[in-house]
Amino acid sequence: MIKVEIVGSSITPFDSNDNQKEKGAELIFNGRVRGTEHGKKIRMLEYEQYEDMAEKELRMIAQETQNKFPIKDLLCRHRIGGVKVGETSLHVSVWSKHRKEGLEAMSFFIIELKKRVPIWKWAILENGEKIPSECKHE
Amino acid sequence: MITIRLKCFSQVKYALGENEIIFELENGVFTEDLEKIVRKKAKGKLDDVTLSTAVNKKYISKNTELKDGDEVAFIPPVQGG
Repeated sequence: MIKVEIVGSSITPFDSNDNQKEKGAELIFNGRVRGTEHGKKIRMLEYEQYEDMAEKELRMIAQETQNKFPIKDLLCRHRIGGVKVGETSLHVSVWSKHRKEGLEAMSFFIIELKKRVPIWKWAILENGEKIPSECKHE
Repeated sequence: MITIRLKCFSQVKYALGENEIIFELENGVFTEDLEKIVRKKAKGKLDDVTLSTAVNKKYISKNTELKDGDEVAFIPPVQGG
């Protein structure tokens, strides 16, 4: 199963459960907002998306990940709008039979997301100034 | 003449000061022509910024002729996650 969502408020984690009989690995990743950007303290990050295209691209990457690795489920929620320091901006859950393919799939999915999904960050500084984040993902 | 809707995000929005710009252009204009116009309008603020191109919310890798009603975005490096 694939599920991707872009949400405008606090991320609710996907349900974990003890009833999976064939899925031996459940991996969960939470990406959280750090309190500084290039040495400057920030209040929050504001995430901006290219509406429709961001979710479409996210779904395409999830599908590619499932085609490339023998995983059972890939579930993803990405938050947009203001996200305070410490809060979750990205939540990913991968279920697989064994850990190896799950870990590889998680890594591939997040790397591709950071290369391709049209979402950007604006840093809100302590004085309230809003500037494009300089955060780059290599 | 054709009408093109340019969507602006992140550094492009910061450089141009607009969320969206409507361009009236001659027929036969390609994506690279529009990118040159946008970079010129940004007065140097996008000189060091690599831009990918999306037409109608889809990445394109080749210089593409624009059609009336197309929506274009020049996409600065993305920062999801």
